[in-house]
Amino acid sequence: MIRRQISGLAALTAAGALALAACGGSSGGSSGTGSGSSSYNAAVSSVVNPSSAKGGTMTWDLNVTPDSTDYQNTYYAYMWDFVRLYSMPLVTYKSCPGKCGLQLVPSLATSLGTPSDGGRVWTYHLKPNVKFQNGHTVTSADVKYGVERTFAKSVLPAGPIYYQVLLQDNKYPGPYVDRAKNIMGLTSVTTPNPTTVVFHLNQPFADFNYVVAIPQSTPVEPSWDTGAHGGANFQLDPESTGPYQFQSYTLNKQLTLVPNKYWNAATDSQVKQLASKIVVNMNVNQSTVDQNLLAGYAQMDIHGLGVQAAAKDKILTSPSLKADSDNPVNGFLRFAYINTKVIPDVHCREAIEYAADKTTLQDAYGGPIVGGQIASTVMPPTVLGYKSFDLYKASSQPGGDVKDAKTQLQQCGKAGGFSFNIAYRTDTPGDPQAATALQAALKNVGINTTLQGFPTAKYYTNFAGVPAYVHSHDIGVAIGGWGADWPDGYGFLYDLSDGQTIIPAGNTNISEINDPVVNSLFNQATTTTNQSATTAIWPKIDMQIMKDAAILPIVYQKVLLYRPPNVTNVYMDDFYGMYNYAVLGLKK
Amino acid sequence: MRVGSEQLMAAPLDVSPAETQASPEALIQGMGGRKIEGRSLGQIAWMRLRRDKVAMAGAVFIIFLILVAVFGPYIVQNPDTYHPNLLNQTLLSPNGPFGGISLAHPFGVDPQSGRDLLARVVVGSRYSLLIAFLATVLAVVIGVFFGLIAGFFGGWVDTLIARTMDVFLAFPLLVFAIALVGVFPSKATIGGVTLTGNTLRVLMLIFIIGFFSWPYMGRIIRGQTLSLREREFVDAARSLGARGPYILFRELLPNMVGPILVYATLLIPTNILFEAALSYLGVGIIPPTPSWGAMVSDAVQNQWYYIDPMYMFIPGMAIFLTVVAFNLFGDGLRDALDPKSR
Amino acid sequence: MITFIIRRLLATVLLLIIVSMITFAIFFLLPRLAGQTSYNLAAQYVGRNPIPSQIHAMEARLGLNEPLQVQFGRFLKGIVAGETYSSGPNRVHCPAPCLGYSWRNQQPVWPLLTSNIPVTLSLAVGAAVIWLVSGVAIGVVSALRRGTIIDRLSMGTALLGVSLPIFFTGALALLLFSFHWHIFNVQYVGITQNPLLWAKNLILPWVTLAFLYSALYARLTRAGMLETMNEDYIRTARAKGLPERTVILKHGLRAALTPILTIFGLDLGLLLGGAVLTEVTFSLHGLGLFTIQAINNSDLPEIMGVVLLASFFIVIANMIVDILYAAIDPRVRLQ
Repeated sequence: MIRRQISGLAALTAAGALALAACGGSSGGSSGTGSGSSSYNAAVSSVVNPSSAKGGTMTWDLNVTPDSTDYQNTYYAYMWDFVRLYSMPLVTYKSCPGKCGLQLVPSLATSLGTPSDGGRVWTYHLKPNVKFQNGHTVTSADVKYGVERTFAKSVLPAGPIYYQVLLQDNKYPGPYVDRAKNIMGLTSVTTPNPTTVVFHLNQPFADFNYVVAIPQSTPVEPSWDTGAHGGANFQLDPESTGPYQFQSYTLNKQLTLVPNKYWNAATDSQVKQLASKIVVNMNVNQSTVDQNLLAGYAQMDIHGLGVQAAAKDKILTSPSLKADSDNPVNGFLRFAYINTKVIPDVHCREAIEYAADKTTLQDAYGGPIVGGQIASTVMPPTVLGYKSFDLYKASSQPGGDVKDAKTQLQQCGKAGGFSFNIAYRTDTPGDPQAATALQAALKNVGINTTLQGFPTAKYYTNFAGVPAYVHSHDIGVAIGGWGADWPDGYGFLYDLSDGQTIIPAGNTNISEINDPVVNSLFNQATTTTNQSATTAIWPKIDMQIMKDAAILPIVYQKVLLYRPPNVTNVYMDDFYGMYNYAVLGLKK
Repeated sequence: MRVGSEQLMAAPLDVSPAETQASPEALIQGMGGRKIEGRSLGQIAWMRLRRDKVAMAGAVFIIFLILVAVFGPYIVQNPDTYHPNLLNQTLLSPNGPFGGISLAHPFGVDPQSGRDLLARVVVGSRYSLLIAFLATVLAVVIGVFFGLIAGFFGGWVDTLIARTMDVFLAFPLLVFAIALVGVFPSKATIGGVTLTGNTLRVLMLIFIIGFFSWPYMGRIIRGQTLSLREREFVDAARSLGARGPYILFRELLPNMVGPILVYATLLIPTNILFEAALSYLGVGIIPPTPSWGAMVSDAVQNQWYYIDPMYMFIPGMAIFLTVVAFNLFGDGLRDALDPKSR
Repeated sequence: MITFIIRRLLATVLLLIIVSMITFAIFFLLPRLAGQTSYNLAAQYVGRNPIPSQIHAMEARLGLNEPLQVQFGRFLKGIVAGETYSSGPNRVHCPAPCLGYSWRNQQPVWPLLTSNIPVTLSLAVGAAVIWLVSGVAIGVVSALRRGTIIDRLSMGTALLGVSLPIFFTGALALLLFSFHWHIFNVQYVGITQNPLLWAKNLILPWVTLAFLYSALYARLTRAGMLETMNEDYIRTARAKGLPERTVILKHGLRAALTPILTIFGLDLGLLLGGAVLTEVTFSLHGLGLFTIQAINNSDLPEIMGVVLLASFFIVIANMIVDILYAAIDPRVRLQ
């Protein structure tokens, strides 16, 4: 994720994306390496039940309310995975298991974007004859209109803000205000002909392909975006360019998808149209979801966070059920921010790093088997640029290193300990337990903390993400979780640690890291065109953050996912961190 | 005893119409000074109560509970110490049957963190009882005050107070309590003292629970006052020159000690359940401080009770036994003070 | 009688207005007093990565920076006359009673509420029927067999029901009947879709809820029956030679039942406002769960809407009960 104040960002080469493409794996999408038989963790690196059999009705469950089914207005990994069933962005991630799935491949576009003007201008050519669900042909004007919708932030506030930050006229008010005047009024996106769309950025940005891989670049016809399914109601029936379209949607309750007859498999090889109906039940209690999966009433839990304790027990203790489950690392890091303004002395912060009891923290998230792997770096192993190192004995002394912690306390002049508050999200599973575990461990070295819980909905916007609140309420540590918007070191680390990213509300650099070494390393990375040099820079930034003791990594999250045996083409998508929902079908 | 909207103060009134009339008569018969065989009503009631074995059992349990709440936390081990080595590494459930019961941990340990369950239940009892007691005191004080005034003065005062009680009873209480906890700031300065954390939260809970239970008491006292104020002894007092406040507090109030005691005792378990419900919904005591309702909540919502049923069962039974004890004692007290309702 | 009803209706309307004012004050005013600005409030509805201009735009769109009395006035007007909102490209009319526009869902609140009402209605009415019948029956039997083992057992069970927290009994029921024995699956199915499945899936919550209330009603009925069975007119009825069943049911129970029925009406009214604990425990998506979610999301229009609806049920139930009571007992009318 990036912020408004990025300046001096020069060209990160598009080679970043191309390098990933060199990772191997077959082209042509999701056939991959089939395995046929099912065993524990089979879907982590291969396709289970490969099949092109069509038909059947699939029932999918979701335990929460989605932020939105409008592809221009959603910001969750599981929704980005899901909306590919009815949307076609310019580029997308390759549908294949393992690291192969981190590559970008063209979707609506004929190829990955062509940069010019030093990376300030990006041109995409559209495939001809891609149709909407009403039979109209997609034109570049529709892509432009889709991007324009993302500017209507008071109506569609939930999506990412990359276009607002990167495009030249970021004051554009969106196509709803003064509609007659503002439709097609976004000057930084031009459409020289019906199959070409050009983006004019206000700075060079080599990762732009990653930006258009976000579902927001899906085309929308202005004539569709009115009336009963216009604006805030677009989510009730979004215009489809994918294999499925909405048949009916009772808001936040049940959604029914049926095949889009104008979808053409030849133009869209990364997704499949297999089932003849998909029913999504939302807001179903997680334990009911688990039961439904095991009993066969549901074929997928699309939240992708795995099963709860009861089902875990059943699955792990039954060999046949275990063979139908996977325990992947999902690319998420669970960690604690250590605020560098509230605890300004690095030795005091290092004391916290040493004193933390990694085993109880790991248990907070589910233990070694299903919770996660004890982490010692900020970047998880799934991110390009990951390198393993361990500055605070997380692996050698996971129970906490009281001796070293006390030494550090002496060095910062607080041999008797000190105190502050720990903030956490009350309704995010694992976070409250992690906060209490950390509190207990810190007490052992004399650091006394008080817990302050906040609902997730307000955590970043009103509390932990507001530096003024953090300072006035003495929040030295805030528990958080992080997954990158795109899988390279920049995507993972920038918003957490660059000095320019600190903002007064909705702040993601909660530790308020403003280290000249880190800032210059980011600068260096963005001005270097050499791919391997860039990749070598990310771990240096990671190391510096850890030296600053500004982040206490807890676990690289793992989840226990269950895949019912009658579902076909199941495999772990490394980018979304869960199964690829766009290729599933039912066994005959 | 009234509970409604599952476990909260709901609809008003008390039990049967006969109750509100019967009690005062029985009370006054003895209290007014006509000593029968040298025994006051208090003594008669006490004798009756003593004979009621069930109520006595309840009383014994209550005393036991109070002792545990006051002294227990000093005897048991630290409720916040983690013992991850006592947990099964795959599922994080306690090793050993019945949630890991052993000599070192007589109630076992809780899943995921391995903290001693006995210690957590004992420390939790302190908060449950403290909040329920003080909230009841608050409710009784406010309720008696307004009930007396409403019943005695009648007229517009009565209408105003009675309608206010109606308004209170028209609110979905649980919802309001949850919302209020969410809206309260996390730091407050009252009279120069800054309160934060659990201190503030406990005070908030006492205030909210007490504040929402007063109409229950108010209605009863109002009913009592309405019937008592027509009695001869009130006329007698008036004829001697006594005025409002004197009659209220020196004549009427002493005659209502019985019902007040009874309904206060019956209000305590309701408030215990109210606090447990708030903890269950996540707006009670702040972790890691243990609370019975929060333990049941953790067991249920995170599904631990499937693999470690004791984790739900033990705090659940703690709540249950406490409530039963108070109910039995309260029932016994009511029966002792008014034999007709037996 | 008519004047009595009219007077009660007016009092009801006044009460509802007062309730909405207090609710408004608590949810809108209290945070302000605690230092929250409309900017902070708007920040909660703008997604994960807001730009300040985004937050200001949301403030304006939701009308958060208008003075409180204006916001309240709009709310009242919406209930009576409806309101129009912008959905982006169009203005949408939200017909009366328009309980506001949800900030988080960007949809009118009333349809969101009405979609949750069937669940709460099913839960409340189903449980109510069960508890009324069982509670009264047990109470009558206990009263008539006073002091016997049946009496003690019933009152003992009643004590259990009153003392067990519903989330405990509910969770226990789920553990046994749903997880272990797979007999029931508590998932709401509309009555129009499949009446049998509707009933089957609701049995656990019905029985759990009814267990709590029937315990109460059994105790109440027993106390009331004991009271009335001692009255003189019962002796007269028996002396007249009426069959015992008529004596019990027609004369004894009827008199004891009046206060029971009034309390029943009130309890049902309260429950219709959202059986929060039951819905959370069994994860039924009714008004109670809706309320909890609205509170967690700080979605004030939704909170206002559901609180008002809940209060409406309670107050209407109060009113109906009062009217019935007045119809039965002439003394009440004269007050």
